[in-house]
Amino acid sequence: MSQHDRTHHAKIATGKGDPQCFKGTAGPAKFKVGQTVRIKDLPDVFYTRCQVYTRGAVGEVAVVTHESPAPEDEAWGHVDHSEWFYIVRFKQKDLWPEYPAAFANDTLQTEFSERWLEAV
Amino acid sequence: MVEEVSDFEALEIAVRELAIEKGLFTAEDHRRFTEFAEHIGPTPAARMVAKAWLDPEYKKQCLTDAIKASLAVGVDWLNPTGFGTPSDYTDLRVLEDTPTLHHVVVCTLCSCYPRPILGFQPEWYRTPNYRRRLVRWPRPVLAEFGLQLPPDVEIRVEDSNQKCRFIVMPVRPAGTEGWTEDQLTEIVTRDCLIGVALPKPGMTTNIPLPVHKPAKPGHH
Repeated sequence: MSQHDRTHHAKIATGKGDPQCFKGTAGPAKFKVGQTVRIKDLPDVFYTRCQVYTRGAVGEVAVVTHESPAPEDEAWGHVDHSEWFYIVRFKQKDLWPEYPAAFANDTLQTEFSERWLEAV
Repeated sequence: MVEEVSDFEALEIAVRELAIEKGLFTAEDHRRFTEFAEHIGPTPAARMVAKAWLDPEYKKQCLTDAIKASLAVGVDWLNPTGFGTPSDYTDLRVLEDTPTLHHVVVCTLCSCYPRPILGFQPEWYRTPNYRRRLVRWPRPVLAEFGLQLPPDVEIRVEDSNQKCRFIVMPVRPAGTEGWTEDQLTEIVTRDCLIGVALPKPGMTTNIPLPVHKPAKPGHH
């Protein structure tokens, strides 16, 4: 018999949903929609959802989404500390140096927990 | 073609068989859930888009609270199977296209997908080929799907890498004036909801496939 309760999280999320079960646990959000942010290049140990192609890039907060533990913690079963999450919009030409100038309008959006962002 | 069984498939079979032996669920439960999941079809998300095209108030709800809007098309994200726990993350976002903005969804990490409302991912959506290339070369990849958009249309790739799930709400195509919700639902195919295709009158997921008679029928 396992000493870990693997259904603990499922129990607290039942009927509420995940990430809704963490609502109100992260305090005030540090960034707001429209703000310019840079993605930090933090070290990650074994698991992260912050893609390497975004590290160091500068973008704009498009949506403040929800509160949740960061996946880098959640992967280890640590769900005590929540953070705000943000969808950040980048110009494609800021992510990929070879992106064609003819399509300079093209963008990409992806999501980060607060620890990955810094104000520019 | 040689079918390779991946480590994950072998792992799934092993865990499933152990769970059945342990009595956590039966093989019949598993089959029933698989049938449910595979038959969910593109319909609920397609109907959501069709309803939103017809009803501006409903469209507003889709864009602000898509989990709640899903209830109107018969999908309860918090209780999708009527038992157990939420089966997927429950923060759905609807990406609204305009004549000058086109969205396309990918998950570069794995294959995150709004399963409760869109069913299982197509095989290509899970491939490293699509995941690696779409973020970097969206226009060439979309061209491979037969979708070429002019430079004045901004292509916005949505990399679905956290707990949000996404569907695309395409622009209602010309030639559908006066159509009913059922008619509109028919043309919003799965690929339109991922963003690798645009809805067109006459192009549906439900038309019968053409059957070609063999030129040289064999004898059995």
